[in-house]
Amino acid sequence: MIAGLKHKVAAAVACMTAAGVAFADADLDRAMKDPGNWASQAGDDYNQRYSALDQINAGNVNKLQVAWTFSTGVLRGHEGSPLVIGDMMYIHSPFPNNVYAVDLNTQQIVWKHTPKQDSAVIAQMCCDTVNRGLAYGDGKVFLQRADSVLEALDAKTGEVVWQATNGDPKLGAVNTNAPHVFGDKVITGISGGEWGVRGYISAYNIKDGKMAWRGYSVGPDAEMLMDPAKTMTWADGKMQAVGKDSSLSTWKGDQWKIGGGTTWGWYSYDRAENLLYYGTGNPSTWNPTQRPGDNKWSMSIWARDLNTGAVKWVYQMTPHDEWDFDGINEMILADIDVKGTKRKALVHFDRNGFGYTLDRVSGELLVAEKYDPAVNWATHVDMNTGRPQVVAQYSTEHNGEDVNSKGICPAALGTKDQQPAAFHPKTGLFYVPTNHVCMDYEPFEVEYTAGQPYVGATLAMFPAPNSHGGMGNFIAWDAGQGKIVWSKAEQFSVWSGALTTAGDIVFYGTLEGYLKAVNLKDGKELWSFKTPSGIIGNVFTYLHKGKQYVGVYSGIGGWAGIGMAAGLEKDSDGLGAVGGYRDLQKFTNLGGSLTVFAIP
Amino acid sequence: MERGLFVRIAGMTLAVVLPLAAQAGGDKPLYTVEDGNKVDAATYNGFKVWRAAACDRCHGPNQEGMVGPSLIDSLKVLTREQFDQTLSEGRMEKGMPAWNTNKKVMDNLDDLYAYLKGRSDGAITSAKVQMIK
Repeated sequence: MIAGLKHKVAAAVACMTAAGVAFADADLDRAMKDPGNWASQAGDDYNQRYSALDQINAGNVNKLQVAWTFSTGVLRGHEGSPLVIGDMMYIHSPFPNNVYAVDLNTQQIVWKHTPKQDSAVIAQMCCDTVNRGLAYGDGKVFLQRADSVLEALDAKTGEVVWQATNGDPKLGAVNTNAPHVFGDKVITGISGGEWGVRGYISAYNIKDGKMAWRGYSVGPDAEMLMDPAKTMTWADGKMQAVGKDSSLSTWKGDQWKIGGGTTWGWYSYDRAENLLYYGTGNPSTWNPTQRPGDNKWSMSIWARDLNTGAVKWVYQMTPHDEWDFDGINEMILADIDVKGTKRKALVHFDRNGFGYTLDRVSGELLVAEKYDPAVNWATHVDMNTGRPQVVAQYSTEHNGEDVNSKGICPAALGTKDQQPAAFHPKTGLFYVPTNHVCMDYEPFEVEYTAGQPYVGATLAMFPAPNSHGGMGNFIAWDAGQGKIVWSKAEQFSVWSGALTTAGDIVFYGTLEGYLKAVNLKDGKELWSFKTPSGIIGNVFTYLHKGKQYVGVYSGIGGWAGIGMAAGLEKDSDGLGAVGGYRDLQKFTNLGGSLTVFAIP
Repeated sequence: MERGLFVRIAGMTLAVVLPLAAQAGGDKPLYTVEDGNKVDAATYNGFKVWRAAACDRCHGPNQEGMVGPSLIDSLKVLTREQFDQTLSEGRMEKGMPAWNTNKKVMDNLDDLYAYLKGRSDGAITSAKVQMIK
């Protein structure tokens, strides 16, 4: 749709604010249609992380070489990826969230944006100061700063067009997520589940930064933008209305006010349905005994109307969390065959170790299976109730406060954390970077003080016992059947977002710093290169002057990276481990750079 | 870290009363440890403050350091005054918060110091401790 027409349409229906009518951003639409760009963090609205580019392919990827590099000037964890629109690349850094616009013709810095943020925010982000990247739309680059300020920058000059304050960092409400542009809105979330922040997701108007709506994760129906009669959820084998006070009735007293359910993952959008999809995180505190009830709607998958925020459906994966299985991981939208039927599916690899497939239009639960055989905290998900069947031995509530529950798989950082998976339309499979880590978890009583940590559990993490000794796998997953197709062992957690391409390859990075290309069919390694630091960023690709490039940030950090020195209790040392994350220090060091590759 | 030392100490049943407090009226020991992991009430309180303030998220579950420095090492170097100042004012640019608004931490600096010093000295052999009965 051309810009002029779009304005006219927008004006004609401005008074309606009706649900269901999609408003596109013509500028972003144009940019996203060209596979030579990498115009959004996932390359599309669906979180598929698939590129139609095929110059670099399974036959020639072994010739890939470094084309150019760029230092961000900042150490610590580099998550997300740059954006490429036309001849410009937009590069971001962890705190203090510098942004560089680099001209790909000259590799000159055209503009840079260096926000001034209170360094007190660093501690509120404990323990790493990551930022998952920028968004683009309407001629603007959007930066979600750590101190919760959402900024719109003029893509040509870097000048600040508007700012919106999205939270109160003094209460621990800070940001690590990338903003996402869908339609005429910028969507952003909030972090701070370990500070007792009550989570929400917010939509700002792309034009002026005014908040269009905000939907909370927990609390009264009106503040969650839920209609007790119309918002649906999976119960007793079918979709049913959630009913009145569906959240309030699952909390003791007013604990929901500090109840968590933060929203710092990757969001996706189905334009045909005009629905926004995302996940909510753990309830606060990590001590389950202190917060009886299901703690809805923490740990849930959400579908909201993009225009109004109204919740169409919601599904809670982990009622009454006892392990910090923070449910924020990305929702990947794909039209796939599920048990013999073509479905408009939503696929989600949760921290809790189950891979979920839902009908993204209706919200029906279709598949919920373990995507790591090590997962032991639940035997299975009851497909009728949708609830996981918890094993008492691994229930930290059952075992009680001040008792160390041992050998729980996965660990709190999940079978997968935020590191996003990719989909390949040709195979119909999902390619998933995973953790293969278990934990001991000891909850204890904790008091809430505004603006202070509100955690309430001590953890020790170690490689999954009785396995290959490593802490990660890179797997191919059939979301229609709920089965692992192949699995490639890695020494450390795979904390990098994957990229699939029409060249029949999958790229991902490792904590040691290798960027790897593997075969779609069997995961066989075709090529690798050691970058300056460990990789927790997401692989991206673009065309410049007709030539394909592949790039990735390196810069160790994030939860896995800070675990470089994470301690095992002495009595855990004998689990056949390779020394846990401590061994990572032998392979890499802090860094902060972008490495871009091409075939010469 | 000196694992050999830890193992040797842990293997013996002994009571450690170390060192004498430097300040005036210094006949009260800084901490008392039995069997490596049983401590006096004040030191146990220090452990509870360490846990409640979630110091382990940066300094590691065993104080060995993660994104924040190893306190096993730091408390061999820091004076008591520097310890108090770091807790109170923080090291903002490195991510250490200022705890001066947190009553629980500020009112219990002596106990927290005793616990961490005991860990740093190697007298307390595991991060988790119990109270001497």
